Amino acid sequence: MEYSFLSLLKKDFKMMLSSKFLLLIIGSLVLYSLYINLVYIKTDQAIYPVYLFDPAESIENASSQIIRVDNMEELQLRTSDGYAVGIDATGAEPKIIMVASGLDSSDQIRTAYALSLLSPGQSTPAEVIGQNSKEMKSRREITSEFLFFELAAVGFLGLASTLFKEKHMGVIRIHGVMPISKSLFIFSKLILFLLADLVFAFLLTVINLGLATGLSVLPAILVQTVILSIIMALVGFFCAAWLPDFRQFSLLYLVLAIFITTPVFLVGQTSITWNWINYHPMYHLFMAIKNAYFEMPIGETVYYIVCVVFIVALFLVAHKTLTREMAKEG
Amino acid sequence: MRGIYYQLKNIRRDKMCILSFLLPVIVGLAINLLSDVSFSTLGEMAFGIVQNDLTEEMADWVEQNGSVTLYEDMDGLQKAIIDPATQMIGVVRDGGTIKAILSGDEFQLYKTIGDKLPQLFEEREAMNAVTIEVHSAQRDNLLLKSLLIAITMVTAMFMGCTFNAMSIIGEKEDGISFINEILPMTQQEYVFQKISLGLVSGILSTVATAFVCMRIEIGQLFPLLLLIVLSAFISALIGMYIGRFSSGLMVGIVYIKMIMIFFIAPPILFYLMVPADSIGRILSYLLPSSATFYGLMEMMNGREQNISTYLAVLLIHCVAWLLIYFITGYRRKKVYRV
Repeated sequence: MEYSFLSLLKKDFKMMLSSKFLLLIIGSLVLYSLYINLVYIKTDQAIYPVYLFDPAESIENASSQIIRVDNMEELQLRTSDGYAVGIDATGAEPKIIMVASGLDSSDQIRTAYALSLLSPGQSTPAEVIGQNSKEMKSRREITSEFLFFELAAVGFLGLASTLFKEKHMGVIRIHGVMPISKSLFIFSKLILFLLADLVFAFLLTVINLGLATGLSVLPAILVQTVILSIIMALVGFFCAAWLPDFRQFSLLYLVLAIFITTPVFLVGQTSITWNWINYHPMYHLFMAIKNAYFEMPIGETVYYIVCVVFIVALFLVAHKTLTREMAKEG
Repeated sequence: MRGIYYQLKNIRRDKMCILSFLLPVIVGLAINLLSDVSFSTLGEMAFGIVQNDLTEEMADWVEQNGSVTLYEDMDGLQKAIIDPATQMIGVVRDGGTIKAILSGDEFQLYKTIGDKLPQLFEEREAMNAVTIEVHSAQRDNLLLKSLLIAITMVTAMFMGCTFNAMSIIGEKEDGISFINEILPMTQQEYVFQKISLGLVSGILSTVATAFVCMRIEIGQLFPLLLLIVLSAFISALIGMYIGRFSSGLMVGIVYIKMIMIFFIAPPILFYLMVPADSIGRILSYLLPSSATFYGLMEMMNGREQNISTYLAVLLIHCVAWLLIYFITGYRRKKVYRV
């Protein structure tokens, strides 16, 4: 029993190597880390630029934030984007010039902000209550997105493509007559891909969050990784065993994954609220990973119970499909 | 022509393939169904206040400047401010004036406004003293929605690439590529057949998506079609490259995923962050999808003065990549024959 399980593991590991699955993991890791460190953490939304046309220098106390322009045409041109605000100080009273942003409230606050720069008024700075800096927040945010996408899209394909290859090679038929339990056959694959996903989650987190922060959030993240990875791997196992033309399905799946996860990301990461998203199972899995990254409390006991029930059900379905395929193969 | 007929026959049985070409159209429909309201709130400043805290005047002023969410107690407000998904600014009463609460992870825009909020409130009377000249925008400018549509359309064009790559990898795995070697068919004929299939299906999928979610004027029809044809051609060609370089299904998926991310993510960033007439913009044309993306965005915003530049860039890409494909293919063949 033990020996046969070990040899199963060994075979699956070899399959994993030959399908270049590890290459895929390393490639994704490099791509994501470069993107996070070179691009994502640098994104920011700048404050509305304010341009002032004041040939007579009549405004003395203007803030240093104001950009002065030399003529009216330039003022018109610079403020044509619906974001910047222009101040025309040629008359007795300053005149605000801008292109509507499409929202009255935004236009209102743009005007108020531009006017406030004309005088050196004092303001109580805002009270800061959060723990994260902008950079740390960006890092946690994007890392959770990438981990989720990688587990949901590629974790699924990894196991499924290996199984599909085995199916082609006739391994399922051979297993039908071998004295090895079908559960072990599924387990050995699950364990290997779970390990690969855990290593990926570990590296992605430590590389992009830094060692100290990374290690402090890691336990919670690894727990969520285990849940998501097992679910996706079992779904992949089921699809590859059940569908006769898995190759075409994999293409469809890659596109599907982008479209399925986009609304989840939109609701999870922006202020958009759609009530129907609560019925989207992926949303809860994503929020669990995200909360783990932000060191916030993750779901209640109900969430874990549902996950475990779901995993057991998936395992039974996968087991049944495998039995059926073996029977079909003779 | 007979070759194309066989290729068509080959995909006819493949329902998944047809389904994946329909997918962008379905997503286009879904984007259209999403109400504009949920998108427009994204650009709005979000404030959070606590019940019975601000005076009526303060609450009215806050409401004029953004969307306001009411919380029962301070605890709820603090949680909402800290929630990393939002950029909410908390507003509380501070004696006779107001005070802002931030979580500290906001973008510069929200941080500056938060720090200046008491001053803006104090100076609210000054607003009445100045003349404000607001020019209305030419079209309703829903940036996020245009972005989503552009992404969906670029994905639709990308279908030709994934289709070609998968089909060639499938032929490799089944051993058909060896049979192709001895068939009386030149490399040009083979490439022509494969590209035309990917091209036609990519075009059909994209045109259907455009029809569903873009409002196109008659004058835009021709440039849009040209943009789609050229981009779909490049994508079909890239599919040929992926098919050539990948040895198996998994490696093919790696390449497709990487190229997909590489083709969709950078143009969005360039579009949002690199000024239109800078060197960065010119450099970004090295990536063919940038030109497609800018072209689509400009068309949706009703400005298309640069469209000829984009078409020219795409045409250069088409010719260059096709030439490279044939030149490298010729070398490979020679190596095998030696």
